[in-house]
Amino acid sequence: MSDDAILRAVGVSKRFGAFSAVTDVDYVLREGEVAGIIGPNGAGKSTFFNLMTGLYAPTQGRIEFRGRDVTRLDAHQRVALGIVRTFQLVSVFGSLSVIENLILSVLRFREGAMKPWRFLFAKAHSVEVEDACLAALQRVGIAHLASAPTSTLSYGDKRRLEIAMSLSLNPRVLLLDEPLAGLGDGEITEVLELVREVCKSVTLVIIEHKISRIVDLVGRLSVMCEGRLLADGDPRRVLEDPEVRRVYWGDKAVAAAS
Amino acid sequence: MKPSTLSLLRRADLLVIAAVFLVLGGVLTIQRTTDFVIFCIFVLAYDLLYGYMGRLSFGHMLYLGVGAYAAALSAEHLSGNPLVALLAALLCGALVGLVLGPIIVRTTGACFALINLAFNQVGFFMAVTALSDWTGGEDGMSAFYDPVLGFDFGDPWVVFGFSLICLLAVVYLMKRLIASPFGVLLRSIKENETRVQFLGYDTFRYKLVAFVISTAVAAFAGGLTIINYVFVTPSFIDPGRNVEVIFACLIGGAANIYGALTGGVVFMIISNYLPNYIERWEMFLGLVLLVLVFRFRAGLWRYLAALVARSGAKEVVS
Ligand SMILES: Nc1ncnc2c1ncn2[C@@H]1O[C@H](COP(=O)(O)OP(=O)(O)OP(=O)(O)O)[C@@H](O)[C@H]1O
Ligand SMILES: [Mg+2]
Repeated sequence: MSDDAILRAVGVSKRFGAFSAVTDVDYVLREGEVAGIIGPNGAGKSTFFNLMTGLYAPTQGRIEFRGRDVTRLDAHQRVALGIVRTFQLVSVFGSLSVIENLILSVLRFREGAMKPWRFLFAKAHSVEVEDACLAALQRVGIAHLASAPTSTLSYGDKRRLEIAMSLSLNPRVLLLDEPLAGLGDGEITEVLELVREVCKSVTLVIIEHKISRIVDLVGRLSVMCEGRLLADGDPRRVLEDPEVRRVYWGDKAVAAAS
Repeated sequence: MKPSTLSLLRRADLLVIAAVFLVLGGVLTIQRTTDFVIFCIFVLAYDLLYGYMGRLSFGHMLYLGVGAYAAALSAEHLSGNPLVALLAALLCGALVGLVLGPIIVRTTGACFALINLAFNQVGFFMAVTALSDWTGGEDGMSAFYDPVLGFDFGDPWVVFGFSLICLLAVVYLMKRLIASPFGVLLRSIKENETRVQFLGYDTFRYKLVAFVISTAVAAFAGGLTIINYVFVTPSFIDPGRNVEVIFACLIGGAANIYGALTGGVVFMIISNYLPNYIERWEMFLGLVLLVLVFRFRAGLWRYLAALVARSGAKEVVS
């Protein structure tokens, strides 16, 4: 079972001062899997992502990518391996145009072909690069916004742009931190559709607040609470776990259900 | 102006810049205009870091000064060839950037500004005291250059023409850098460096490259200054004068090549000619800044460009 693990956390903890945001988490993500992580506010979900992707170094424990210890690698080195993420608060470059937001991602994937000299002096807006950027925008359905200033985009379109940037990096595993947060109902359907499409080709971990939105999407669900992994496994089985029901819906819901 | 005229002007911008400085050279004294030209090179070097990469330095006089002293020392100890002096200035500026850069570019915000200032102060001290046997201390030293290919660098017009060509080359260089993926990267770092790292870029490396380009070009401007003045004094490395280049960026508008040029020229006109009319001219400069901050936040250049564009649009409609 363990040889097809793409991403693994072994006994990972993160403390901020005396406060432990993530406590002794063991987590294995398998190649091709679509995994969900849920948990109440402040459970440590985003912090866990930050540890896996290299924003923070864990206080304890180890992160492995395909059996290789990546705990000490910087974020950009992990991206080079194919560990790519989005952020809970959409993170795109508002001062650039939409297409410019994609230039760096598109070029990063082919940096081998780009000599340093050309990176410094060649035109960023070459036909070849722009075509690649447009194709990436097409994939998320916002090609018509290519030349718009990014700051004028709706939140949902920014979210799609961020997903396009991530996909251009040719990820092996994509970590989406609440990709549906802050979207309107129509946008949620569209972005979910997009995620469904993406997970056909990329191993995916998705954090979400509302279980109902992703329960059909994910093949595996983990629940975090107060920094710990409370339950992990088949979504329906996990949701029936009385401990999970207690933290998620409170004792009353459990009482009502029984 | 019609939009087509505008786009034509934009494409021939190097010619327009040359023409503007030639007119200035005819109106003002030539040595002063050369000073304007060289200052503009310095502003461009500064704007790469400040405007595009979003890092404000309080110690850029160090890099200008390193170039100035390198050029003067080259005349004394290496050769009287001004091109050798400029090469020495450029290389010394790059070297200082390479040595200090790895420490400096790790920081941002106030820390970045102040660590540059700290190094600038060390450099100033070395020029005035520690290395005064070499630099001439407070008195400075003179530097005379030989003719090159029949061009006499004692002739102010030759220095002017040469400096102008250098400015045009630097403008071209900066335009290429800004329009490249590297330029996109710098603007992205300015907005959110962490996000750039999550696009797979080792931002440290690129920040260092930008820093070294900036210090090298600043030092090159320092070398040119000495060729124009034929002497060097500690005032060329005085950290107190760093505000000049910041003012120029603010006046013209940061993160814009034409803004840097506009700011450089306007600042030089104010600081060179206002003292003739107003004794406390620095106070006037303060007022100019206040007006700019509240009225023309994006700088004079963008304001003028928007004005011209609007009148152009009106003409097309009518
Ligand atoms: N950089 C930090 N410094 C100090 N405390 C932090 C830091 N980052 C997170 N925390 C704390 O760690 C805890 C977990 O935060 P985290 O953002 O991981 O939760 P989350 O599960 O993503 O919550 P949400 O659903 O609100 O996004 C919170 O109490 C938070 O205040
Ligand atoms: Mg979170």
